[in-house]
Amino acid sequence: MSALSQLNVIQVAGLTKRVSTLEGSLTILSDINFAVKSGESVAIVGASGSGKSTLLSLLAGLDIATAGEIHLDGDALSTLDEEARARVRAEKVGFVFQSFMLVQSLTALENVMLPAELAGDHDAKQQAVDLLEKVGLSHRLEHYPSQLSGGEQQRVAIARAFIGSPKILFADEPSANLDSKNGHLIEKLLFDLNKQNGTTLILVTHDEQLAQQCQRILHIEAGALENISQGVTANVG
Amino acid sequence: MWVKLAFKLFAREFRRGELTIIFAAIALAVLTVFSLSSVTERIGLNIEQKTSDFIAADRRLSSNHNFDPALLESATGYGLETAQLLFFDSMLFANDELVLGSIKAVTSSYPLRGKVIVKDSLTSEAYEAQSVPASGNVWLSEGMFYTLNVDVGSTVEVGAGVFTVSKVLVSEPDAPFFSLSGNKRVLLNYQDIGLTQAVQPASRVFHRLLFAGTDQQLTDYYQWLKPQLKSNQNWQGIKDRQSPLGENLERSERFLLLAGLFGIMLAAVAMAVSAKRYCERQYDPVAMMKTLGGSRQVIRNIFLLHLTLVTVFSIVAGLAIGFVLQHIGANYLAQFMGTELPAAGLRPWLLSAFIGVVCALMFSLKPLLDLFDIPPLRVLRRNLGDTLAISRLHIAFSLITIFVLMWLFSGALVTTLILFASTLLVIVILFGLSRLLFAAGRKMGLRPGSSWSLAIATLQKRANANAIQLISFALAIKLMLFLVVLKNDMISDWQMQVPADAPNMFIINIAEQEVAPLQQFFEEKEIPHEAFYPVFTGRIDAVNDEAFARRVSKQEGEEQDEEARRGVNREPNLTWLTTLPEGNEIIEGQWFSDTSSDNQGEIEVSVFDGWRDALDLKLGDTITILVNAQQIKAKVTSFRTVDWGTIKPNFVMILSPNMAGKIPVTYFSAAQLQDKHTKAVSQLLQRYPTISMIDIKARLEQAQSIIAQVSLAIGFVLSIVLVSGALVLISQVQASLAERMQEVVILRTLGARGRLIKLATLYEFLLLGAIAGLVAAIVSDIALLIIQQQLFSVAGRLHPYIWILGPITGALFVAAIGYFMVANTMRQNTQGLLRKIA
Repeated sequence: MSALSQLNVIQVAGLTKRVSTLEGSLTILSDINFAVKSGESVAIVGASGSGKSTLLSLLAGLDIATAGEIHLDGDALSTLDEEARARVRAEKVGFVFQSFMLVQSLTALENVMLPAELAGDHDAKQQAVDLLEKVGLSHRLEHYPSQLSGGEQQRVAIARAFIGSPKILFADEPSANLDSKNGHLIEKLLFDLNKQNGTTLILVTHDEQLAQQCQRILHIEAGALENISQGVTANVG
Repeated sequence: MWVKLAFKLFAREFRRGELTIIFAAIALAVLTVFSLSSVTERIGLNIEQKTSDFIAADRRLSSNHNFDPALLESATGYGLETAQLLFFDSMLFANDELVLGSIKAVTSSYPLRGKVIVKDSLTSEAYEAQSVPASGNVWLSEGMFYTLNVDVGSTVEVGAGVFTVSKVLVSEPDAPFFSLSGNKRVLLNYQDIGLTQAVQPASRVFHRLLFAGTDQQLTDYYQWLKPQLKSNQNWQGIKDRQSPLGENLERSERFLLLAGLFGIMLAAVAMAVSAKRYCERQYDPVAMMKTLGGSRQVIRNIFLLHLTLVTVFSIVAGLAIGFVLQHIGANYLAQFMGTELPAAGLRPWLLSAFIGVVCALMFSLKPLLDLFDIPPLRVLRRNLGDTLAISRLHIAFSLITIFVLMWLFSGALVTTLILFASTLLVIVILFGLSRLLFAAGRKMGLRPGSSWSLAIATLQKRANANAIQLISFALAIKLMLFLVVLKNDMISDWQMQVPADAPNMFIINIAEQEVAPLQQFFEEKEIPHEAFYPVFTGRIDAVNDEAFARRVSKQEGEEQDEEARRGVNREPNLTWLTTLPEGNEIIEGQWFSDTSSDNQGEIEVSVFDGWRDALDLKLGDTITILVNAQQIKAKVTSFRTVDWGTIKPNFVMILSPNMAGKIPVTYFSAAQLQDKHTKAVSQLLQRYPTISMIDIKARLEQAQSIIAQVSLAIGFVLSIVLVSGALVLISQVQASLAERMQEVVILRTLGARGRLIKLATLYEFLLLGAIAGLVAAIVSDIALLIIQQQLFSVAGRLHPYIWILGPITGALFVAAIGYFMVANTMRQNTQGLLRKIA
């Protein structure tokens, strides 16, 4: 690996994803190449069905590519099995999803602590409380997801994403399920925490305005990387 | 460590009610097996004991020849209790009165089962005797006191010996149902036989050995005894065919077994459904955990620990509830029966815990394996992994488990196979039928916007899920209907055998000239009574002129030797009748024609079918019967089945009416006497001292109380099965609750009125329940017919009322449970629901 590539926390080369359907093989992503530097914020944009969520799933090691290479902080994902990829995620990755994906039977605090507990770290309580405080939910620690509003649930999800100080944060349409007021609040929170922690942010969205807040924007169309543009905050970050 | 997280998740899931149905299903399976195998074991033991009372032992060996003393010695060696009896007739003499008495000499351990009831004087209270007559004493039946004009304390000569009359003999457990010995009964100490000098080498005597012990001891002893049994020795237990209650006992055992199997089957279905649902509800959390870096190992550990915890808790709960229930049940029964129930052993505990573990493991294994395989990608592609839910392997796993559980519990492979295969067939038919019904429903044009059309649309939309739901509902309703009907049939059958107005007194030894005055006496005193049967004893001498003894010996060594020997060696009670008695059915040949009453014609005989097989008889054979010194030749013209379960005089051979006048006979009748008739009865006995009366009241009450006890046991088991059935319904409705919630939200959001949704839900369940109920009724009625004939050997009949009852109760039952569960969903506001399903 070159010195340059070592600076890149994500390195994607010749990434292709095909699935077989009743009508034959369907190419979802084709020959994608790009790199993301540590601490950078990158938006992946495209129309529905363009392949942006598939790209995110491959980058996070949730799925495996048909061809090509992904290096995630030095780990070649294609050479790892599911267990090893889970370990990589546990150590280096945080997630925020469109549908919050909180465990319904755990409280807000326990949901935030979950990744740490799965990794065997049981001293994460203070960190979780701090994070919930940062997202403005210090008064909601013992509430269950069903007792929280959509915006509050997503704030819990954001707090969870940052526990264990991950190097990379993947966010899949984080504000799509929320009203604009809550949506903006979540976006601000996400970017603020990202900056504070120096985390690399990969954000999937179809919202151009949100994408513009990232340093770079990858435009995906029909499974191909059309172009890479600069966001409005490119020179600020 | 994952353990803390696992416990935390478990506690929360438990509190949220996610594990309730699994918990309840395992607990119910354990409860069913435990309570069935302990209560029925206890009741069974008690029933067996009570039935044992009828022969005063667990087994007995009878012969008209002396027994080798080694038989008794060996029995003691096998740990059995024994008693020795000798029956003989002897003259009794007192106050210048001479009468022929039936003497029963007993050793001190008599009776091994049941009670001997005595009175200290003719007018005092009856009580249970604690010992046998002391040497030098005799106990006489009431009739003897009148005939010999004696009282307690008087002396009486029995044969050559002089004895003191010390007690009034009221009843003995093993007094014959019907015999000519009547109530000229004398109980004597076995040691005193010699004093009477009545037993000489050529005397007609009857020897009997009584045995009591555990099943194992009895079996071991019988194994030792069997090769040495002689053709004139008859080994008899309570379950033998001609024992009046043996047949009923076996039927009730089969019923309880069947009910237990159904209970397990239903609990298993509930378990399979709820385990699958629980695992499906965990798909998202597991995908999330995997996404957040949780290793497969950790996830597996977490959920296996959940399974272990729920299994342990539910087994403990099942055993605890089962223990309390059976304790209460046993106490109640003990009070009801006035006896202590014998304690059950370790078997119920071990068996039920084992079945709980098997249930938990087998039904959750496949759903759990599916759960572990959920890809983390599900967090992005929400339906990923859903295809796993319809797994043939899971179905196969569940079916095999249900089969193994049923087999394990029943230990009866054939019964299990019949039940299992027929249920499978039902499922296949129902699946096809339900698809057809829903397809037909689609064509029904209904007003849009009505609750009915919404209900039908909902049914169609979930055609597959509904087919499965319908099958579970129908299966549950089928099994419940099945048991309810079978229970009713069986109990009414028994009650018919021992009706409340059954005669409680047999009157025998009635001389021909006494028939008319006796009849008049009964009418005067308004005592209900039966017809007067002519009765005589005869010795079967030959069949087709071949000496009878040789025919019997031919059967020796054959498998059926015991059956063959039973009864054929003794001198049967015979009668002649013009009409076929109740409870008898001609299976071959024809009942006597009118011409057979012709005095000059050939004498015909109708034979019990058990004797046909034992003696290898055919229609047209001639049986030579020796009555006193007179030879009577009778041609076999029919074979009959005899219902030995009824408390009525049953005859192995009935001769044609043209026997009348050919031989001297006595008459037999039965009457229903009440306490107010006591005085009249003593008058009667004084007026006709040769008449004997046999009080079967106690015996009748005993039979009725056994029936009541068995009915209670069946009711208890049935209620467990009903709970299992309800659990299946609940688990099914709960399984579809998430989808329903989503629908309610959508309909509410679109502005549907609450009333519309509520009614639609109600109608949907009513429809489902009615269809399930109808199918269940039809299938269970057919299955009943087969099972009654095959398993219970009774003539089955169809029950048109359940064809109506099935759909109605099905609709109400399913609608009530379904509506109750969904009503909660409907009470929540749309916003709350939206959050829940988010």
